Amino acid sequence: MPSATTTPPPVTDIRDAFFGELHRLAQNDRRVMVLTDDQSAFALDRMRTELPAQYINIGIAEQNLINVAAGLALGGLRPFVCGISNFLSLRGCEQISVNLCAMNLPVTIVASGGGLTYASDGPTHHSVQDVAIMRSMPNLTVFNPPDATATAACAALCRECEGPAYVRIEKGVMPSLYAAPADFSSGVGRLRPGSEVLLISTGFLTHAAVHAATLLEASGIECGVLDLYRLKPVNAEAILEQLKGVGRVAVLEEQTPIGGVGSLVCELLAEQGAGIPLRRFHLPDGPCYRYGSREWLHRQFGLDAATVAGDIARWIGPAKLRATA
Amino acid sequence: MIGTDPGSAAAAPAAPHPAAPALAAKAAWVRFQILEMIAAAGKGHVGGSLSCADILVALYAGGVLRHDCSRPQWPGRDRFIFSKGHAVEALYAVLAQAGFLSPDSLRSYGTDGSSLGGHPDRLVPGVEVSTGSLGHGLGIGAGLAVAARRQRQAHLTFVLLGDGECYEGSVWEAAQFAAHHRLSNLVAIVDRNRQITVDDTEDCNAFEPFAAKWRAFGWEVREVDGHSFPALLEALADVRTRKGGPPLAVIAQTRKGRGVSFMETTVGWHHRVPKGELLAQARRELALS
Repeated sequence: MPSATTTPPPVTDIRDAFFGELHRLAQNDRRVMVLTDDQSAFALDRMRTELPAQYINIGIAEQNLINVAAGLALGGLRPFVCGISNFLSLRGCEQISVNLCAMNLPVTIVASGGGLTYASDGPTHHSVQDVAIMRSMPNLTVFNPPDATATAACAALCRECEGPAYVRIEKGVMPSLYAAPADFSSGVGRLRPGSEVLLISTGFLTHAAVHAATLLEASGIECGVLDLYRLKPVNAEAILEQLKGVGRVAVLEEQTPIGGVGSLVCELLAEQGAGIPLRRFHLPDGPCYRYGSREWLHRQFGLDAATVAGDIARWIGPAKLRATA
Repeated sequence: MIGTDPGSAAAAPAAPHPAAPALAAKAAWVRFQILEMIAAAGKGHVGGSLSCADILVALYAGGVLRHDCSRPQWPGRDRFIFSKGHAVEALYAVLAQAGFLSPDSLRSYGTDGSSLGGHPDRLVPGVEVSTGSLGHGLGIGAGLAVAARRQRQAHLTFVLLGDGECYEGSVWEAAQFAAHHRLSNLVAIVDRNRQITVDDTEDCNAFEPFAAKWRAFGWEVREVDGHSFPALLEALADVRTRKGGPPLAVIAQTRKGRGVSFMETTVGWHHRVPKGELLAQARRELALS
């Protein structure tokens, strides 16, 4: 299991971390092909300039994007398909299912803009169902890393997958949560100790989870943080190990309540008969027609660190008062 | 003869071909197997299987496709994608004829535990790509053609589409992509039987001018009689030497239910199963063909 960082965070844009690693992989393996539906990113532009034979801009045609990638993989190449999460996962959904997953082809889908990344662009651009959809796809490995270190590691892990992979990548500079180099094979990372409540999150919101835990600590509540950077195959054994001795579980995600990480944790707990009280923080099951920044939207839906910490404190508080009375 | 010029209309008869009689006999066997598989299973897609039988026989037995049934994964093989996967009975029969499957295995079609499903999957020897949902094959074929070119491999990629499949927008996404990349190692053959399940294509949502659409997308187009072996073989004779040009679309004019008179003359034999006297009549007509 990778360890949480204790050193000052390096300044690395998460998307550049992934595409930089992908560029390195492509330089060393001419079978690596990068396909996109017209995505613009500095590192992708570099790929286009420096490795033009390994780069194809398909145009805005996600169905064909996935199908061509399937053909390239059948032909012995290792395609990475880059685009916006919502369009890849919904417009290309059937192609991903029947061509990549059912035929178990080594194609990596690089999904940018997960969750509410494109906040004020509205529900056509919000990717709040893709975790549920991709979790249901057979043979698919699903990654959702929270920082540059884990994201770069996922590029290499995807390259090593014998079947299809789906990786959600963020953009922008965010604090490092993991120490590098690290072994990211376990799929889960314990970022903070604490067993009074264990806050489980994934991707971008793992940062809010860590922040919420620090706020709770100041309130005298021990809140551990578990990051699920790989959602499929889920490492049930490692998660259950982390749940030992935990009083309560909270799950924080930037998806609808159906089929995402909250569902994943519920499934695990129910199957194990763990009986641990659980609280879920998620987006509503419906289109979001409120317009503002991602952070503003998180506050609107109670997914920001302060609201999460406050809700958990109120949830635990009465029991704690009873215990100490 | 084939129509190759922009705007050319109906195909003229092709010159006789010495292999045509033998291929016709093979096609007759394939058609009979199609009928027997569907009759025994009580399910299947008879109309579209019969319409594409001659195309498949021309490809597999007419010296067009490079294949080796003793080595289904031979790297030098041509890649063939059967994109109109619902007509799988025709594919199974041709694969049996070509030696990829045993003829006896066709009897298992439609039975519990059979390895032969209602749409083709890659676990079946000779099946390159699992298909069934329409509109995927051409894009996959384009990817295979790009991969072959990038790795300097000489094999070709063939994709057989149904015309009804061309209602799917992804077909045209792939057509535009393949033309832009000048994938001369890609051949699309369209089984233009003019019928979907409940309608004539021209009555419900017209394709015509169909060939002009492919030309407008940048393809070289050849229109042929899809039941004439001389015409099919002539249209496909130069596929290995046309390098550097656009991809090739062969529009094969066919009849849904070809070989069975009552199927050829009525809409409705997409997946209907003949029974009783109709089955007996179909058997008689296909036995005589």
